[in-house]
Amino acid sequence: MTRFVIRRVLWLLLVLLIISLVTFLLMHLVPGGPWAKGKPLPPAVIAAINAKYGLNKPLYIQYAKYLWGILHGDLGISYSYQDRSVTQIIMQSFPKSAILGGIAFILALIVGISLGMAAALRQNTWVDYVCVMFSTIFASVPGFVLGILLVIVFSVILHWLPSGGWGTPSDLVLPVIALAALPAAYIARITRASTLETIRQDYVRTARSKGLLERNVLIRHILRNALIPVVTISGPEFAALVTGSFIVETIFSIPGIGRLFVSSVFARDYGLIMGTTLFYAFIISVANLVVDILYAVIDPRIRYD
Amino acid sequence: MKGKTVFLSLLAIVLAMVLILAPACSSKTTTSASTPQVLRINLGGEPDTIDPNQAAWAPDLTLIGQCFEGLLSFKTDGTLTPDIATVIPSTSNGGISSDGLTITFHLKTNVTWSDGTPVTANDFVYSIVREVSPVLACPYASFYFNIVGAQAYYSSGNDTPDQQAALAAAVGVSAPDNYTLVIKLNSPQETILDCMALWAVYPEKASVINQYGNSWTDPPNYIGDGPYILTTWTHQTELVLKPNPNYWGTKPKLAEIDMMEITDANAALAAYLNNQLDIVGVPIGDIKTYMNDSSYANQRLLVNQLGTFALQFNVDQAPFNNVLVRQAFACAIDRNAFVSDVLDGVGKVTTSWIPPGMPGYDANAGSQYAFNVTKAKQLLAQAGYSDVSKLPAITYTYANDTNDTTIAQFLQGQLKTNLGINITLNPEESNTFQSNVNAGNFQFAWFGWLADYPDPDDWLLSEFTTGGGVNQTHYSNPSFDTLAKTAETDLDNTTRLSDWAQAQTMMLADVPLAPIYNSETFALVKPWVKGLDASDIDYSIPGDRFYTLVSIASH
Repeated sequence: MTRFVIRRVLWLLLVLLIISLVTFLLMHLVPGGPWAKGKPLPPAVIAAINAKYGLNKPLYIQYAKYLWGILHGDLGISYSYQDRSVTQIIMQSFPKSAILGGIAFILALIVGISLGMAAALRQNTWVDYVCVMFSTIFASVPGFVLGILLVIVFSVILHWLPSGGWGTPSDLVLPVIALAALPAAYIARITRASTLETIRQDYVRTARSKGLLERNVLIRHILRNALIPVVTISGPEFAALVTGSFIVETIFSIPGIGRLFVSSVFARDYGLIMGTTLFYAFIISVANLVVDILYAVIDPRIRYD
Repeated sequence: MKGKTVFLSLLAIVLAMVLILAPACSSKTTTSASTPQVLRINLGGEPDTIDPNQAAWAPDLTLIGQCFEGLLSFKTDGTLTPDIATVIPSTSNGGISSDGLTITFHLKTNVTWSDGTPVTANDFVYSIVREVSPVLACPYASFYFNIVGAQAYYSSGNDTPDQQAALAAAVGVSAPDNYTLVIKLNSPQETILDCMALWAVYPEKASVINQYGNSWTDPPNYIGDGPYILTTWTHQTELVLKPNPNYWGTKPKLAEIDMMEITDANAALAAYLNNQLDIVGVPIGDIKTYMNDSSYANQRLLVNQLGTFALQFNVDQAPFNNVLVRQAFACAIDRNAFVSDVLDGVGKVTTSWIPPGMPGYDANAGSQYAFNVTKAKQLLAQAGYSDVSKLPAITYTYANDTNDTTIAQFLQGQLKTNLGINITLNPEESNTFQSNVNAGNFQFAWFGWLADYPDPDDWLLSEFTTGGGVNQTHYSNPSFDTLAKTAETDLDNTTRLSDWAQAQTMMLADVPLAPIYNSETFALVKPWVKGLDASDIDYSIPGDRFYTLVSIASH
């Protein structure tokens, strides 16, 4: 197990290096630059800005300088938010996305697994139909539709909740629901399908026939086995949720990292593009690693040697 | 049994959700006896920078304008008034030397920083030299290139620190005493006074910047000399301003200004409707609703901007290298239909490049190429294109956002209907579009200009002189260049403005661009906001130059 983890961490470093190189090349291949926004600037100013950010140097030197900076824990400077460094920006915005995404993830797990189990155990009854209807609706309504709908109903019409912002717990309610709806529906469908498969397994019949309590059969034999596919998808799902959603953060004015990731590309904010991309890659790789370790915990048949 | 368990767990989930929602429901808006003097506005996003030297983006100026004051400032009619300077320098009061090359400002002696220390001429020297420093590469630095040594210092990015220090010392600004500032120019320039009223040369406190570096803009380090101080900056969320206790001038009425950073215009509108904002710009899709709904009659605010939007032609590329084709295109666009269909009525048709509200504005400028289909066809025929199918392929390049796409489709329709010309639409991602236009990689495109300061030289000099800094059309006319050269260094306002008027007429006859409309701001303002002084010199939000006058009525 330890050897497996060490090997995976080494791979992670290689993956990050390759991602940094590809991102660096791609973003410099795209036409434009940090000065091409708003009013047109005279050539003397463009030249000075390029000199300031070292953009007049050959690409390999720029890349080497960037890697050297990372080795010293410096992710560089942002061109669009000049008063802060990239590291500061990520450290200030990621926790907000993570809190929001973390709560949404937990909510999605609770709602999704409950609905999925309920539907499977009561297959072809009204419980099943309601659960399937729920998951179908929320799996097909895009986040921006649901988000705007929530704002119109709960803020603009009813004035119950703020339409956006950050600071009080009430600010979290609508974005958490908007974020959790899709993964909850997805998890519900997967849980339902895998539970249906599990309850038809021989070991479940054996467990029942040897007279185990129904509660024990449910939790120890059905739930535990049915959850493996859920664990598989929850890794990437968790990574996606905690790294923020551009749409939900824009609708609800959440000061998270999801918005920065997208806007940095449009602004040609090379420092922030590199910083957020590497950060994303890191979070996703770590989430996948955790999932692989969780497999072994849940399913004793899975071993890493 | 099993059914019950499942049902109970479902019930528990529903209950949990109700519990989450319940406390929020009780926090409805309450009205208190004394109205808090808090103005809540939306900046539209995180500032690029709130360092006056480095700022360029209008919403950033809305904030900077509350926390800083300069030598001079603009009144709502666009004329200058002294702020920290005792008087506006002129040749008659000796502030401008007879050769026009030396400007002397005398400073008020009672102006202080928000930390209580006095503002002196050295703070201006520091700021002006910093503005043209190669280390910062400030976007507005070119406005000060006429100051002796400024351009040489700014362009020394590849020199050694020693060389740079020598160039910095050679920049022509000095403080003979604490309250006198002397600026040396390369050539006479009337509009240098306008430039000295801009945020880019507001005084900056060297000791704070040296001590905190980049984070000098974080409160409480953000020391200014304006009516407000920045007390909290929650990044990407909001900025909170409170009155500056050490402000030398008239104290503001507001106890607080909250500047939200809501990026999405529709989200901002929702916040306004939910009483979280006091002023909001109406997004383009909602204009008709709020323009016509009588329940918003006492909240509507329509303000002129010093802005002109136009169709610009690359005069190097066929068929637009032919002036007759450019003139024909200018005559082929129905500007009234544009304002009503594309802008939902927010904007005013124009044929003049210089917008109304500016010195040198002439309503008739360019009117010979107003919308006139017959004339457009005649001009095309004269150009040898009575059969439009003989025209070379024409592509309209634009940024692929919603507004510019609507504009592109409108223009395509106009040219098809009025002249029978089929043009190809070429949408590009916004930053790509900008750099392609800068590089001259376009046939014709959309172009807008908003005044930096209210004077025609900001609209004609670097835009239309041969090789001018932002000459995107590649327009070149020696007679225009001569006129511009004369006007640029002329200290007599009467002859200067008449030269610029003549230059504009000359340029508009050659149609490097076809002005279409002057922009306006359409905003909603809560009825309890009193004393708002909105005008065409607003930075980004109505009345944002004069928030010291605003108060909040009880509601």
